[in-house]
Amino acid sequence: MITRRKFFRNSALASAGLIAGAGSAGMACSNRDNPGSYDIMEEALKFRKINAHEHVYLGSEPSSLINAADRLGMEKLVVSLPVTVEDRVLVTPEKFRECNNLVLKAMKLFPDRIMGQFYINPYYSKESLEEIDRCVSAGMVSMKGYYQVKINDPLYYPVIEKMIDLKMIILMHTHCGIGVGGYRTKYGNIQANASTPDDFAGAAERYPEALFQYAHTGGGGDWEYACKTLRDYPNVYVDTSGSNNESGMIEYAMKHLGEDRLFFGTDGSYYQGVGSILAANINDDQRKKIFFDNYNLILKRSGNHVD
Amino acid sequence: MLIDVSANIGHWPFRQTGLKTCRELLGNMDRYGVETSVISNMNGIFYKDSHAANEELYREISSEKRFRGRFVPFAVINPLYAAWRHDLLVCSRELKFKGLRLYPQYHDYEITDPACIDMVRCARDEGMVIALTVRMVDSRLRSWMDLSSEWILKDVIPLIREVPDARYMILNVSGGIMLNDEDTALIRGTDMIFDTSGRNISDLGSLLKKYGNDKFAFGTHSPMLDYLTGLLRIEALADNEADESTREMLRSGNAKRLLGI
Repeated sequence: MITRRKFFRNSALASAGLIAGAGSAGMACSNRDNPGSYDIMEEALKFRKINAHEHVYLGSEPSSLINAADRLGMEKLVVSLPVTVEDRVLVTPEKFRECNNLVLKAMKLFPDRIMGQFYINPYYSKESLEEIDRCVSAGMVSMKGYYQVKINDPLYYPVIEKMIDLKMIILMHTHCGIGVGGYRTKYGNIQANASTPDDFAGAAERYPEALFQYAHTGGGGDWEYACKTLRDYPNVYVDTSGSNNESGMIEYAMKHLGEDRLFFGTDGSYYQGVGSILAANINDDQRKKIFFDNYNLILKRSGNHVD
Repeated sequence: MLIDVSANIGHWPFRQTGLKTCRELLGNMDRYGVETSVISNMNGIFYKDSHAANEELYREISSEKRFRGRFVPFAVINPLYAAWRHDLLVCSRELKFKGLRLYPQYHDYEITDPACIDMVRCARDEGMVIALTVRMVDSRLRSWMDLSSEWILKDVIPLIREVPDARYMILNVSGGIMLNDEDTALIRGTDMIFDTSGRNISDLGSLLKKYGNDKFAFGTHSPMLDYLTGLLRIEALADNEADESTREMLRSGNAKRLLGI
């Protein structure tokens, strides 16, 4: 047991001069003026927003989605419903049509708020192309791909070519994790057919006229690796959605990709999606571009933009 | 008034961050209206002798007059390392640190290790608050030199069960916020707070009902996470989820109560 006397005798700090007078580093009554005030809700609501990455009936009903959107001033939400099954054979045309029908249902419930995004599985090529036609006719504005087929797989070529004709963007699920192939530092994925940044680079190189959206830099993948990989592919955009709102992510993406290639998105993480952009060390014109303008320009190519 | 209960200064070795110093952090605090930040020095996670980081923190806070009254320092100590008791008492009695942050995963010990429990009891007796960070970073994008697994909330419960009369902060809750009835009752009966920085604080309105209005406080987990999401979760609460009195508890009242400031 250390006694009080022994404690102070033994204290190295006293002899090292670390203790400055009777001062304490601890809390004291502040005698300064109050720090500046910041109204975060005023800031959050002052920017128009198109949420470029969201889902419906994947843990959230359309009404709860709109509730979150109303809180945080999201005017439009681009939503899809992918099938979260890895085996490409099992994600049949019936299943992706069923998903798209649910998205159509959400669009009808909130026609002024929800913009539909069709989901297909290019393993079933003919049916996927037919489904794209059906969904575009019904008013959907872009495409969602998942981890059944990589974005640079030849199975995707006819789909990408159709999307070029439609002047619509392809949002593709991604991941970029370490520790594959026996190398701690090698990047790859848990799901064998999830697209990596390098897969995007391959697709973008083959189809420079296509529009690609790299999903959720905040989704748990290595956003530094992704942004560096994608910097020389101007037809690849990134959305900043995801639960992992690391500081510096927005600034880093802007440094490598520029202010015109970032989209605001949430992917279920509403507060992180908005908070990370508000907190970023960028100016309001850049925030406006990320929250609204950049994605709206993409929509404008197909005539689906917001006035 | 805002009190941030979960800030850090120091260097994170696996990626570049800002806000490494009190000066930088104070700039953000002033910009966003944060009166006070509870801080510890992340260097203590990586130094073998973590107490050197506590000394650095003390020097840093003492280096400018304008820092006084704006920072509440917490120590970082490894209970398996030599002379932890001495270091703890220095932090408590000489440096007037208000709390102790534990990093069992980084310092490689079990949370129920007798040395850990002994140190927590000692800190409790010194009137210090115990802070546990569920994770520093998302393990999915960790460096190849960083931890390969992360805690979820239930991993900190055994310590609270061992020393239930200590005061706790549980920070950056990223997984497992919905505890079972037994553990929920333990949390409700403990003098503790969760900060609002973690990704599991996605529905704060419901969590206030589950754990109580006195169980949450504004936190940033700076500089690892963005500075504002934890605040947005509070300010975006609907009126039927939190009245103005509850909001004030979340902004600063609960932190003041727990810290005794």
